[in-house]
Amino acid sequence: MKEEPPPILGSWRRLYAAVLGWLLLLMVVFHLFARRFTP
Amino acid sequence: MRPADWLVMGGALALIVLYGLWRSRGSDSVHKYLLAGRTMPWYAMALSIMATQASAVTFISTTGQSYVDGMRFVQFYFGLPLAMIILSATAVPIFHRAKVYTAYEYLEQRFDARTRALVTVVFLIQRGLALGITLYAPAVVLTVILGWPDHAASVFMGVVAVLYTTLGGVKAVTWSHFQQMMIMTLGLVAALISAVTLLPANVSFLDAVNLAGAAGRLNAVTTSANWSDRYNLWSGLIGGMFLALAYFGCDQSQVQRYLTGKSVAQSRLSLLFNGIAKVPMQFFILFIGAMVFVFYVYEKPPVLFRQAELQRIQPLSDFEPVAGRYDAAFQSRRSAADQFIQARRSGDAALGQRALAQYRKAQGELDAARRESAVLVEKAGGPAGVNDTNYIFLTFVTRHLPAGLAGLVLAVIFGATMSAISSGMNALASVSMVDIYKRHIRKTASDRHYLNVSRALTLFWGCYAVLTAQFVKEQGALVETINLLGSLFYGGLLGVFILAFYFPRVGARGAFYGVLAGEAVIFACYFFTGIAFLWYNVIGCAVVIATGLLISPRTRGTLPAPSGAGSAAS
Repeated sequence: MKEEPPPILGSWRRLYAAVLGWLLLLMVVFHLFARRFTP
Repeated sequence: MRPADWLVMGGALALIVLYGLWRSRGSDSVHKYLLAGRTMPWYAMALSIMATQASAVTFISTTGQSYVDGMRFVQFYFGLPLAMIILSATAVPIFHRAKVYTAYEYLEQRFDARTRALVTVVFLIQRGLALGITLYAPAVVLTVILGWPDHAASVFMGVVAVLYTTLGGVKAVTWSHFQQMMIMTLGLVAALISAVTLLPANVSFLDAVNLAGAAGRLNAVTTSANWSDRYNLWSGLIGGMFLALAYFGCDQSQVQRYLTGKSVAQSRLSLLFNGIAKVPMQFFILFIGAMVFVFYVYEKPPVLFRQAELQRIQPLSDFEPVAGRYDAAFQSRRSAADQFIQARRSGDAALGQRALAQYRKAQGELDAARRESAVLVEKAGGPAGVNDTNYIFLTFVTRHLPAGLAGLVLAVIFGATMSAISSGMNALASVSMVDIYKRHIRKTASDRHYLNVSRALTLFWGCYAVLTAQFVKEQGALVETINLLGSLFYGGLLGVFILAFYFPRVGARGAFYGVLAGEAVIFACYFFTGIAFLWYNVIGCAVVIATGLLISPRTRGTLPAPSGAGSAAS
């Protein structure tokens, strides 16, 4: 059965990679945020 | 509660229920009642998935958790996006192609009826217990705020949720979740803006963030590797991922949300949206808790947020010196906070260091006075180790938010409770109908008969939830109790689904005894070790897989093709 592609980014693999990238970005931002405001 | 609060709260709750019922009209078959005829768009499922997870506990307890322990609880959710990706790639297409009504139905296609029955029972126990706790949370709210007895609160909430879930089925649940998430977002934004605007005029938003950070309340990422530390980066990524895999992949209360999707793609999108939005949402809620902490740097908080326990110890002679130390520490923290802000603005590093040291010392003294008060509660005949985490945010909401806004935030809390228990009732009714009634009690009957049984079972589980909520005892932070309960069972559930999906050579015997062994080890960890509960999911799952592999023949098997017809798809 042919897989229906996602509405953005063209393939599910790319969409999964984008979610992973988003998680990484959040962790980095939270880490920097905590460091910036914790003396 | 002022008239404006009642008006806003009543209006918001009525809107949620009526909108859900209106959208659910036409649920006149089992297929529509339990699966919405598989017509739901991704955005409705996504918000329903988020609303199912975001119970009242999320708002009451998470904000309090941030107030006392900082924002490190956000790490608990780091594994969730990973789980969403794995489930989108694996479980969603498998469940869709199998055309099942419940996740456990698939286990009979893959293993046998015995394994399906065992896992069904594990689910019914776990979700049934969780339902009572979930309903108990708003009873805590109403007890504190309105002076209602616990019983009245849970009965009121239960009856409203039972009404629309029984009448409208999964469609009513999903569309009311959609409304609830809208109102939740509005309420949360309003709560944060209020917390910041209620600060003294000389304290800016940036000052408030600095003060929260100086008290260690912004510790959003901690990298220490400690097995008994509940929340750090590693337990969040690994333990959190396993917990999320089990919760979203094996718990019918979540699986049912995305089984209603129009297609595999729509269901996948709903899970991935959750993976994107959940972590920032939790961060936001925790940040509200941190801002409430800063608000109480300037507005003296009660020694204990549980009014009844505070009143119990106030007449004691031992309380006076504790209260005196608490007052002095509050004044000292407040003046240190002012100096800290001043030093930051003027760039005076030496003054900043002195103010920071005094601020932290005063915070330590405040915490010590709160601990001493908790001991006094026990001395005065109250509960041991009294925990007021769940009362902090509500005290702030009801005492300090402007008229109308408090009602909106309370509507968020009540709406969240209804959303969580309606999903639970819906899932418990589906599993009882499909995996027990139709499988073991009455295998053939008309669609109308099964629809009526589904409605009756929804009503039964609703009454069960209301009754068990009367017997729940408060145990620390409610959010932890709920997650601990899930972790006691999810490792076993997840293990058996992993065996089903990825290990063709494992047969029914391996799966059945694997689940039993996994659960035995999890309970041994709980009773005899100090391992943090998030790891139970990893350990339990590993034991199920290892046992399943050990007692299965070493010949390579093949996964059976899904039958393509759900047992209740009549």
